[in-house]
Amino acid sequence: MDAFFQLAQGFADAVTPINLLFALIGTLLGTAVGVLPGIGPAMTVALLLPITYVLEPTGAFIMFAGIYYGGMYGGSTTSILLNTPGESSSIMTALEGNLMAKAGRGAAALGTAAIGSFVAGTIGTLLLALVAPAVVTLAVAIGPADYFALALLAFVAVSTVLGASPLRGLASLCIGLFLGLVGTDLLTGQQRFTFRIPQLADGIDVVVVAVALFAVGEALHVASRLRHGPVEVMSSSGSFMTREDFRRSWKPWLRGTAFGFPFGALPAGGAEIPTFLSYATERRLSKHDEFGRGAIEGVAGPEAANNAAAAGVLVPLLTLGLPTSATAAILLAAFQGYGIQPGPTLLTTESSLVWTLIASLFIGNTMLLVLNLPLVGVWVKLLKIPRPYLYAGILMFASLGSYAVNADPLDLVLLLVIGLLGFAMRRFGWPVAPAVIGLILGPVAETNLRRALAISDGDVSVLVSSPFSIVVLVVAVLAVVGPPLLRRFRRREAVPA
Amino acid sequence: MSTGEPAPAAPRTRTPEPWEVEEAGVPRRPRNWGELALSTLLLLLGVYLVIGAGGIAIPGSSNTVGPRFFPYLVGAATIVVGGVLALRVLRGDQGPEEAGEDVDPDAKTSWRAVGIIALAFLAHALLINVIGWPLSVTLMFGVVAWALGSRGIIRPLLTGGIVSVVVWLVFVKALGVLLPGGILLELATGWL
Repeated sequence: MDAFFQLAQGFADAVTPINLLFALIGTLLGTAVGVLPGIGPAMTVALLLPITYVLEPTGAFIMFAGIYYGGMYGGSTTSILLNTPGESSSIMTALEGNLMAKAGRGAAALGTAAIGSFVAGTIGTLLLALVAPAVVTLAVAIGPADYFALALLAFVAVSTVLGASPLRGLASLCIGLFLGLVGTDLLTGQQRFTFRIPQLADGIDVVVVAVALFAVGEALHVASRLRHGPVEVMSSSGSFMTREDFRRSWKPWLRGTAFGFPFGALPAGGAEIPTFLSYATERRLSKHDEFGRGAIEGVAGPEAANNAAAAGVLVPLLTLGLPTSATAAILLAAFQGYGIQPGPTLLTTESSLVWTLIASLFIGNTMLLVLNLPLVGVWVKLLKIPRPYLYAGILMFASLGSYAVNADPLDLVLLLVIGLLGFAMRRFGWPVAPAVIGLILGPVAETNLRRALAISDGDVSVLVSSPFSIVVLVVAVLAVVGPPLLRRFRRREAVPA
Repeated sequence: MSTGEPAPAAPRTRTPEPWEVEEAGVPRRPRNWGELALSTLLLLLGVYLVIGAGGIAIPGSSNTVGPRFFPYLVGAATIVVGGVLALRVLRGDQGPEEAGEDVDPDAKTSWRAVGIIALAFLAHALLINVIGWPLSVTLMFGVVAWALGSRGIIRPLLTGGIVSVVVWLVFVKALGVLLPGGILLELATGWL
């Protein structure tokens, strides 16, 4: 009951005119960058981090909430209307969505994606509001050793569970951990790996690394293999969802939500596995034999799963301070920018901020539903921006965001160097997200590890002294060992299907 | 670097089945020297971390675990991961190149575009404090758009110029972000 009271208070804080304006800007901005190929929510939030120096936290997080959900929504529009493969979590939506658009049912595909996103987002956010206080009561007693175990779990989960090659995920994580080490040691004030460059004493800024890996790396990667010729955007016309479409969509929406939320909420977060599971389930359950020719269930399910997972990811972030996706990691950096350390105490110390954030997720989600379908024409125009201009513009904003942090050209040189690294990583299939997580969570993990060992006088057994840390570490080991086994198993299963 | 040979002419079905997406059957290409170099660099980074960690000053006050401990840990992990990955790549293992809406997996790598863009970005970084952000970023915008195949140079420069000045006005005059405008623009907008 307490949670509901606080949520109501959050709504009261969120519906002031200025905060509604922030939510509106956030959702529009988020959808726009979600629609544009080449940039996603992680990079948008990273680019906007400098405004946290000017804005008060509530306004900033309301905007980030809008960007977060808007980015998801925009991604689905792109995957339905562009006939080319996009980011991995929307591949499943694209499969049937493309075919529907091709068959002149683009409007229905966009409709079921939008309403499905809304349904999943609302249920997911509601679950977040219900689950978060419960997780906090469980987690409030955790000590440094437990927190180190959690960070370790997030590291291995993000590196090995997501992406095709666990080893390459770990390689990316190592890069991130190294970048996180550069600078002054938090506990003793010693400089580490600064190459005697004075600017590096403060560490490499998260904005610079994130923008470099996401924006500059992506721009260079696209430049290396640019798809030439005019951009083919499929028609978004056709009749909107019919009664029959609704009848066929509502169950996949709910099933997709059921797949998505738990996968997002577990520290092994990510939207790829639940969207895949949702697609496979709908395909199996379908009575229409329409799969492969544009079945609406194949859009409704994965899209709902995608959004529910996005809501789920916020559970470990807000209750444990544990980011399990790149966007969540950058949100964590935003909290840190305000001197707020997310963790079990966040919900008590920053109660009103967190509940306002959750309330804004509801508001942003509703705004998306109301705004996006009428605005489809605008999004289609965005999709048609000539690619040379699009990527030149992305680099322009990358420069803006990174220079604004310290007003130092050296940051721009770093941006280019790390951007080239990001390009190489994309080229060789090293996922980028683990590097961002390593950069942001690495210092937190180190601090907790050293605190734990200082308390125990250097006795390493402190790391496995509580049931909580043992369980978490066991799960972490499973996360490393499990996927290869699972993959082998699935390969054997999948062939005859 | 990987040879960007065009894929066999066999018509590719446009919608891959889900299990194909999952398994992303990577065609066997010749050993990937580029990735071998990157993993070797990672291995060397690990060695550097371990050696460099030994050089970090430890203040007398720190008792059990000082500032060297975590770098040693990360360094050791980096050596292992870099080494194993280098071996795997040497034996022909290959990761799936990241897909994207605008990435044509069959296109030949355009090192020219990558090089020009990198140089243009570097030049703009060095020029920013001399001629201001709007002008330097406009030049970069123009060169990047040209390198990516937009026709002519006038239109990209014009577009870049307009966008950068508008962005500068919004971020500097309305939001108070620090960004050098260059002499002309600073003078022209001094009254704002």
